[in-house]
Amino acid sequence: MIKFIATNKWFKDRHVLKNINLEIAKGEVIVICGPSGAGKSTLIRTINKLEPIDDGEIIVDGMYLSDPKTDLTLLRAEIGMVFQHFNLYPHKSAIKNITLAPRKVRGLSKNQATDRAEKLLDKVGLIHRRDAFPVQLSGGEQQRVAIARSLAMEPKIMLFDEPTSALDPELINEVLDVMTSLAKEGMTMVVVTHEIGFAQKVADRVVFMDDGEILEEGTPPDIFVNPRHQRTKEFMSSVFHIPIFDANQEED
Amino acid sequence: MDLLGQLVNIKFYLLGSYPKGDVGGLLLNIIMALMALGLSFGAGALLGYSRLSCRLYIKIPSMAIVETVRATPLIMIIFWIYFFLPYIFGGNVTLFWSAVVSLAIYAAAYQSEIVRAGIIAVPRGQLEAALSTGMSRYKAMMYVILPQAFRIMLPSFVSFFVSLFKDTSTVFIIGIIELTQAGIIISQREPDKIYAAYVSMGIGFWCVSFAISRVARRLEERIGVFDLESIRPDACRDEFMLLPREKKTGEGMTPAACEPEDSK
Ligand SMILES: Nc1ncnc2c1ncn2[C@@H]1O[C@H](COP(=O)(O)OP(=O)(O)OP(=O)(O)O)[C@@H](O)[C@H]1O
Ligand SMILES: [Mg+2]
Repeated sequence: MIKFIATNKWFKDRHVLKNINLEIAKGEVIVICGPSGAGKSTLIRTINKLEPIDDGEIIVDGMYLSDPKTDLTLLRAEIGMVFQHFNLYPHKSAIKNITLAPRKVRGLSKNQATDRAEKLLDKVGLIHRRDAFPVQLSGGEQQRVAIARSLAMEPKIMLFDEPTSALDPELINEVLDVMTSLAKEGMTMVVVTHEIGFAQKVADRVVFMDDGEILEEGTPPDIFVNPRHQRTKEFMSSVFHIPIFDANQEED
Repeated sequence: MDLLGQLVNIKFYLLGSYPKGDVGGLLLNIIMALMALGLSFGAGALLGYSRLSCRLYIKIPSMAIVETVRATPLIMIIFWIYFFLPYIFGGNVTLFWSAVVSLAIYAAAYQSEIVRAGIIAVPRGQLEAALSTGMSRYKAMMYVILPQAFRIMLPSFVSFFVSLFKDTSTVFIIGIIELTQAGIIISQREPDKIYAAYVSMGIGFWCVSFAISRVARRLEERIGVFDLESIRPDACRDEFMLLPREKKTGEGMTPAACEPEDSK
């Protein structure tokens, strides 16, 4: 579904993506983690070409991103993206936030779009907040509306860039629950998050990035419990408060 | 009493010598302000928008135009246009058009700054959110960025329009009989009541300016300007005042000034 081939990216002379090779299958849920500045956001934003790459190739659902003839609106219509700071349209109510793109991009009628939006609002548990404006919604509610907004385009892939890190702790779960049910329905998801519970429960694979590189990837236990690199171990213990627990040592 | 006496001249203050002669007086100020605004709106928006471009061959010309006009007193622009327009279009440029064009040039430069600031104030994430749902750049601008920029601009736009209206009085200098010139003429006819004439002019400008801001407030409330609080004339914030606190309230940011007294 998504394939990175020897992808490189620079910001000026800063090498922020270093020879990324990664393949993500249809229906897979990938969690990306790593220290601040590792390039996680940049990586995820290259998938819908919010960031162009300088070298290599990314193939998304058969579309070649380095090809200038690739229609970005078609590409992006198939990829939903959820941001750390929600980015809801403040001048539109929840329902209008959701119906805008289906109407203007997919050409749905107002009724079709509203029906679809109401179903999605119901799904994220916010149908009673249908006409509220973003300022009237809590962070968790805003993020759930933002997820519904992306889903309204019926995307094949969903990207999440730290969707819960701007939320108060008690609001995190309501968003993770929506993401978990989405994963269960078979959505292809790429999630930058440091929510270890979510990763362990939902992720098929975890990718650990550091300084622009994919340092290691594997199943959640591989990365969280039994990482190979010292760098990964240090990161896990500092962020997740997992004691450095060395399975290899035990086997010795 | 002298002030009431000016009621005799009210038609001249409001309409000039119309219908016998050209429209003048306060009505002319309103007409000039509206026409200058209409003529300059497109140019102002375009100048402000192109100034946001990173391409220097677009950015620099618009920047040069805007900064030149803004660095020039309105009265200079009025004189330049008054003397130069006849060179370009021949001798038959009326005073009225010369005045309106000057005001429009002046207005375009200021509006461009309002437009530029409004667009730039829309958070970056908004464009990304719109693009990531598959909207083209054009659709994202039309449905997401500009509607927000417009709401951000509206309060400064309104206060600009009020100043533009008042600035129309400057064109009296080339002999247009708008409200100021009308008042001067009247005061010269009756030199003993000179103050009454000048107070009458002031009242005229005040009434229209006040009406504009009232209408604008309705509009702002209707279309939902984000920060309505800041444009509410009766908003108060005693906690910002560096004065002894009147009421026994905390040092914090409680909306103290507008709250009723303690019920203790
Ligand atoms: N637009 C930009 N221009 C220049 N440098 C940038 C830009 N965006 C990101 N960078 C740099 O690229 C590197 C990777 O940034 P990125 O945002 O991808 O990191 P991240 O892993 O998402 O970090 P965080 O956990 O803080 O979000 C950082 O060093 C950052 O300073
Ligand atoms: Mg990031």
